[in-house]
Amino acid sequence: MEVLKINGVEKQFPAGIPQTLTELLEQLNINQATVVAEIDDKIIERQNFSQTRVSPGQSIELVRFVGGG
Amino acid sequence: MLGPGKYTSADIRTILAEKGLDGDGRRWHHRLENIHPDDVEMALSEPAGSYNFEKLLTLISPAGRKFLEEMAQLAHQLTVQRFGRTIRLYAPLYLSNDCTNSCRYCGFNKENKFERTRLTIDQAVEEANIIASEGFRDILLVSSEDRQFVSVDYLAELARKLRGKFSSISIEVYQLSSAEYAKLFESGIEGVTLYQETYNREAYRYYHPSGPKSDFDNRLDSPDHIAAAGMREVGLGVLLGLTDWRIETLALAEHAHYLIKRYWQSHVSFSFPRLRPAYEIECSQFRHLLSDKDLVQMITALRLCFADAGLVLSTRERAELRDHLVKLGITKLSAGSKTNPGGYSGHSGAIEQFEIDDNRSPAHVAAMIKQQGFEPVWKDWDIAFIR
Amino acid sequence: MDNLIIAGREFNSRLLIGTGKFASCELMAEAIEKSGTEIVTVALRRVDIENEDDDMLSAIDRTKYLLLPNTSGARSADEAIRLGKLARAATGIKWLKLEVTPDPYYLLPDPVETLKAAEILVKDDFVVLPYINADPILAKKLEDVGTATVMPLASPIGSNQGLKTRASLEIIIEQANIPVVVDAGLGLPSHAADAMEIGADAVLVNTAIATATEPAEMATAFKLAVEAGRMAYETGLPSVSKRASASSPLTGFLREQ
Repeated sequence: MEVLKINGVEKQFPAGIPQTLTELLEQLNINQATVVAEIDDKIIERQNFSQTRVSPGQSIELVRFVGGG
Repeated sequence: MLGPGKYTSADIRTILAEKGLDGDGRRWHHRLENIHPDDVEMALSEPAGSYNFEKLLTLISPAGRKFLEEMAQLAHQLTVQRFGRTIRLYAPLYLSNDCTNSCRYCGFNKENKFERTRLTIDQAVEEANIIASEGFRDILLVSSEDRQFVSVDYLAELARKLRGKFSSISIEVYQLSSAEYAKLFESGIEGVTLYQETYNREAYRYYHPSGPKSDFDNRLDSPDHIAAAGMREVGLGVLLGLTDWRIETLALAEHAHYLIKRYWQSHVSFSFPRLRPAYEIECSQFRHLLSDKDLVQMITALRLCFADAGLVLSTRERAELRDHLVKLGITKLSAGSKTNPGGYSGHSGAIEQFEIDDNRSPAHVAAMIKQQGFEPVWKDWDIAFIR
Repeated sequence: MDNLIIAGREFNSRLLIGTGKFASCELMAEAIEKSGTEIVTVALRRVDIENEDDDMLSAIDRTKYLLLPNTSGARSADEAIRLGKLARAATGIKWLKLEVTPDPYYLLPDPVETLKAAEILVKDDFVVLPYINADPILAKKLEDVGTATVMPLASPIGSNQGLKTRASLEIIIEQANIPVVVDAGLGLPSHAADAMEIGADAVLVNTAIATATEPAEMATAFKLAVEAGRMAYETGLPSVSKRASASSPLTGFLREQ
């Protein structure tokens, strides 16, 4: 079974991991316009989400803005 | 060296020009004349020791004169609070009176005909030994504009020879570049005194007709170079009596304030050289001489605006006045000074820069300080601990 | 009243608003509007992929307010720098409120890591607004490395204690050549006015507004307080009178001249 580490947690993808970052975000129901993504410690620019491939075993950080002082 | 800080304010030339303080200052005459005693009362009730232009203007005004006693009391209290009941002592060591400038007020003026004296490094060390034997550990190396002989290398070498004996070495010499000041800092010199003499461009031009010192802007920029080079102490001053002392005090304060804001690690001091008779120099030609009251007003006003600035008094002033000024905000005194190169050993009959009026020995001055209720401090800081 | 200038950009308002601790996005948005602010801080957190929650950023009109991401949560310079880069990638904004708080109790800022991070971030072209304890030397060192402001705390975050660090704040304000934004611990509008009266260039308020029973009203109160304090400062404040009592005269020796 293909696995991705997302935000520090291993997540299993029985149907296989999505091909691109855009597809992953859609699957997770996350608004692309406001999220920041890092794959294996590398920041991915938003305009490149749809072209960015996702591979098994990668560590992905999905971060967004929240209230803070 | 100065970091890449984001100091966005103007440089000192612009500040003085915009405030009308690099000329005769006539813009301020009317204001000064019209300061009311109530204004002075207000200024005196502001927290003592913090600077603002209006406050200083008020304190040095003719109206401020009636409040001299109160200013003195406040200045005394503030100084004791910040500096303790102590007075630092230092001695000047004149290295050369051979000068390439022709400043009209100075005994060393190159136009004056007399035999010039330059001390070799060994001779200077001999003088310094005498100074040290009097108890001094704080020495000020002074020279005329004699770049050729009293070069940067000379000063560095002399400093290295003296640093074992003196805990603080400062210089009062012709203007240097930042790199040159940095080199001297490495050799053990930690302070530089450089008087603008006058912030009035026109007067400056008149009094310094020729020689490197005739460059007003270069002179004015030099304290920046001193501070940027890492010197811990920056000594400012004007030659009191050349022009209107009130305008000069305003300019001097603006200069200090600018340096304090720009170079937060440097300590600023003020000196108060009053015009004195010197070789071929007669005082009656000068029309702006200061009375003792003027001097006291200036000293106390500056103290009330700069809580932590050093206020330095030399032996130009007569003994009686110095004794009283010790209680009015002064923090550092010279004593037993000889302003002629070789004067301490008495070997040469060299000409003095100016006549001294307090001829008491250092021991005598120290006793006077004690009598006033202060402790004379010969050694304040030992740079040898760390460098 | 003159404008606040940070990194060459002008602002009318001298009140910055923090967006944490609000009960809802709507309350936050209303408070922001009533405060008259032009700068709003936000934090970065991992998206909770199990729960889709409100995306607060959509509640903030980015054409009206400058978003100032903070690095809250960072406990080291490296973490702060990483958060800074993430924030910049998210928004394209290079402004950053640098917060390095290893202590989870008082959330006090780490001076060593803050200075370290500031130097690196400034070199990487960030406009850095560092949150610090009221340490005048640290403030000068940060200025020297090129931060756009310093943001000394009045008292610990959320404590609502007002200007506990007053004496140090006064020194920082006196010595700074960059704007000083008093941040953290301002619990009452009078605290904010106080900070402005002693010469702060701006203040940042979060907890006091977010946790008020009526955040929008409290935001208005702070707005007025900041304006009042600044106006008084610019006009020139009367001093508390402290006059000397003469003991023995010091100038009796001066002759009539």
